[in-house]
Amino acid sequence: MKILGIEIVLEKCTGCGLCIKACPFAAIKVKDKKAEIEANCTLCGSCVDVCKFDAILIDRPKLSNKDLSEYKDVWIFVELKENEIKKVGFELASKAREIADTLGERVGAVILGEKAKHLCDEIAAYGVDIVYIVEIENLKEYNTSNYSGILTGIILKYKPNIVLFPATHIGRDLAPRVAATLEVGLTADCTGLSIKDGLLLQSRPAFGGNIMADIISPTTRPQMATTRPNVMKIKKPDNSRKADIVTIPVNIDPKAMRIVIKEIIKTTKSGAKSLDEADIIISGGRGIGSSENFKILEELAKTINGVVGASRAAVDAGWRPRSDQVGQSGKTVSPKLYIACGISGKIQHQVGMKSSDTIIAINTDPEAPIFDIADCGIVGDYTEVIPALNEELKKNLCKN
Amino acid sequence: MPKDIIKALAKFELLGMVIDPEYGGLGTDVVTAGIAAEELARADLSCSIPVLFLVGTSWGHVIDKYGTEEAKKEIFSKSIKGEQIIGIATTESDTGSDLGNMKTKITKKGDKYVVNGEKMYISGVAEAMEYGGGHVTLARMKPELGTRGMNMFYLPLKDTPGITPTYVEDIGREAISCGGFDINNVEIPKHYLLGEENKGFYYIHEGYELARGLIALVCAGAASKALENGIAYIKERKAFGRHIGKYEGIQFKLAEHHVKIQALRQLGYKALWTYDQEIQGKASRFEVSMAIAMAKSVAPFWARDAIDDVMQWQGAFGYTKECEDQKAWRAVRSFTLAEGSSEIMKLIIARELLGKEFLAYR
Amino acid sequence: MKFIVCIKQVPDTTEVKVDPKTHTLIREGVPSILNPYDQFAVEECVRIREEIGEGSISVITMGPPQARSALMRCLAHGADEAILISDKAFAGSDTWATAYTLSHAIKKIGSFDMVFCGQQAIDGDTAQVGPEIAQQLGIPQITYVEKVSLDKTHKLTIHKQTDGGDQILEAKLPILLALLPPSSFQPEHPPMSSILKAKRKPFNIWDANILGGDKSKFGLDGSFTQVIKTYTPPSRGECEMIEDDPKEAAKKLSKILCKNEALAKR
Repeated sequence: MKILGIEIVLEKCTGCGLCIKACPFAAIKVKDKKAEIEANCTLCGSCVDVCKFDAILIDRPKLSNKDLSEYKDVWIFVELKENEIKKVGFELASKAREIADTLGERVGAVILGEKAKHLCDEIAAYGVDIVYIVEIENLKEYNTSNYSGILTGIILKYKPNIVLFPATHIGRDLAPRVAATLEVGLTADCTGLSIKDGLLLQSRPAFGGNIMADIISPTTRPQMATTRPNVMKIKKPDNSRKADIVTIPVNIDPKAMRIVIKEIIKTTKSGAKSLDEADIIISGGRGIGSSENFKILEELAKTINGVVGASRAAVDAGWRPRSDQVGQSGKTVSPKLYIACGISGKIQHQVGMKSSDTIIAINTDPEAPIFDIADCGIVGDYTEVIPALNEELKKNLCKN
Repeated sequence: MPKDIIKALAKFELLGMVIDPEYGGLGTDVVTAGIAAEELARADLSCSIPVLFLVGTSWGHVIDKYGTEEAKKEIFSKSIKGEQIIGIATTESDTGSDLGNMKTKITKKGDKYVVNGEKMYISGVAEAMEYGGGHVTLARMKPELGTRGMNMFYLPLKDTPGITPTYVEDIGREAISCGGFDINNVEIPKHYLLGEENKGFYYIHEGYELARGLIALVCAGAASKALENGIAYIKERKAFGRHIGKYEGIQFKLAEHHVKIQALRQLGYKALWTYDQEIQGKASRFEVSMAIAMAKSVAPFWARDAIDDVMQWQGAFGYTKECEDQKAWRAVRSFTLAEGSSEIMKLIIARELLGKEFLAYR
Repeated sequence: MKFIVCIKQVPDTTEVKVDPKTHTLIREGVPSILNPYDQFAVEECVRIREEIGEGSISVITMGPPQARSALMRCLAHGADEAILISDKAFAGSDTWATAYTLSHAIKKIGSFDMVFCGQQAIDGDTAQVGPEIAQQLGIPQITYVEKVSLDKTHKLTIHKQTDGGDQILEAKLPILLALLPPSSFQPEHPPMSSILKAKRKPFNIWDANILGGDKSKFGLDGSFTQVIKTYTPPSRGECEMIEDDPKEAAKKLSKILCKNEALAKR
């Protein structure tokens, strides 16, 4: 039976069966020493990658304008951490809901993992209408080929208009792989997403954050984008919402995996409040001067229940661990309150904290660029200002 | 000069550029050394590092050409790694251009040579005394023969009995020392003789010429960097309601200096290229002497003029020690003298044009 | 063993400034450099090759003629040959078209075992081209690679950074690796002898004709994303400066903060 878009080059095929092992949808069989594609093939391309003889050809037809209109719904890829939804998933759901409402379409969520069913209600509360789940043990840890093959297949089958990914380590590994397989446009690290003239308008910083660009993907579907955690706002959940659940059967042959995890090393202490989730961050840079001096910031953090962050300079100097780093090569944060001490505020740092609600800056240099984005600033020595501030706040807050 | 700077030059393999790879050098041509000299001058407007570089390169080349195997292995194994320096010591308190009449004498004593005299206004004395190394030196072996009886040899200063250094503070190139030393019955082993006895005066010019060519590019590098500083300044500074870069008077000067510095670069690189050509047997002595003298005759003056105007544009600030460009102004002043005075350069040019019969002071 | 390294020449974005009047980038006087992530990739590839004692390294880039200096730098770091893929036809490429062009060039070079690239370029910051090249070549990828170990039997061990820590992976060849330098990485200048040797190494320029491939997939025509507008990020408004000695300033700031929503929640 001929399947549209995929062909086995019979002269080259040796019937070795590698493609069968790689196919997540069990859509290939070997008959008379030649591979044969079954009707449930999704054109995900996992077989093409592994065929040593270049005996499989996939040619997905280019979409006409009419075809584009067949693509509906706004999807999100929900990343899990230890079988729980990461906070960025709720941010994506909130944004997807907003976009879907503008378009009059539905919101879909794709969850791949070891256990997913228990998460459907949770994500539904943030505006998701359908959840597509794949639950198998081998999906517990992220693997590019597995996740990409499965997600690509699901997208090809259900034809969403838009797919959003978190710009996390996993998202930035998975999204371009899927986009390249589908041959569609992908925009990274979006800070703004909206609909303009029926298309997804994707806004993102470039040139180290010096400039913003607005981008569209007019000719391909789905339109794909990744967004950084802590940029999109989370809407209030509606716990009465329910979503439809579509379970997709998939099998993975672990022997076909070409990359294997040997060891997992966790460096972030579980339980400790992470920078990503803090409402208040007090951050120190080169101006702090030493590792011991960070105690001054930690004292203030204790008083107002904040978390201490650092600029790259402080991390490079060895005063703070990399997990505390805020900035282009560190974390993006958007707390309600960000207090920057001894941080000059170069563009690479600004990119990581600009979307904070309120920014306070304390620096001895009145020309420091941090004052350009601060709401309130003091030109002074943090070793004098912060302890004094700490005392004042202790007094004032105790009154309440 | 701080040792870590010398070590940094060694790390980027700049200290043995023209030396034979057999001794750890790169064996490059002298034009490449010229590029390095120009860039070092752009980076260090006081020209201290370029001077260390050009002296070590030129006189290292002479040691490479005329030294004994034993001396070369001993000297280059350390100098190329930045562990010791190489300098030049021909000038004396009473002798500059008139080398044939110098006072320092050298005699043979058994298996060694004994040197007596003094040298003065020598770069790198403090560095050689502290870190080690030596100076390519000229002294009279047969005084009755004048320039035909001089020896060129390598003279280490550190831990050498009979060497008494003195230091003077010159007005520029602060990071490299200036000084002299008394030479009192200093014994040097016979393998430190460079070339043959009594032929030193003829060899020494090969070192001077390479140094002069590199000096021309050092002047060009420092001046072009100063001009860039000047351009940035005149684009910022305002007077009478507009940027001073908009005034014709400033623009005329800028254009004139730019042309001269670019012309100087061409003279300098052509001179070094000719030097390379002679090494390959493709150019004559005449062509080399002429090209080198031409470049060095104008280099310090064209550079000084450009830097002087850059200081002038900066007004009173240009007259303070905080202005970077004044370092270059003081540095290039030394190049009317170092490795051969400007006056001698002109005499060389005239000699090549008129013929030896017209040599001045004969 | 055949290694391919994909690099990009980028403006030094730490030096880029925005014109306050026109709100556009001031590109003059901004030096062009080898993308630091790519420099790390080249250095790591050279180190691996030295460790196993065999292999040849080809470094490629898609760019304008000036990108030559970035390639020369890679040759000075130890790569064996450089190919500059340059043609007006490639102008306007988005990450997809770039990946198509580069993967086509890699296929033209021939068979290979490992492709190294930097995790992202400091101008685009997308980190997309590496995985897209891997997909088009049909090979697996590992991103956020901090450390690579290859032994003489070609067993590959990777130390990869994840959101919560690190992972140690083993992988089969062929493979693409996107490298992330440690924050201690300082791009260093190669020594003079390497720079001089680089001048004698093979350097080729491939235009669209030499490259071959489907011309409709190059450049602006082959791109799926379009930039419709660039602008400076909106400013946050005036900064209220508290001018006072530290104790007084702290008092005033404390009053302002106590009204802040974040503290009220406490």
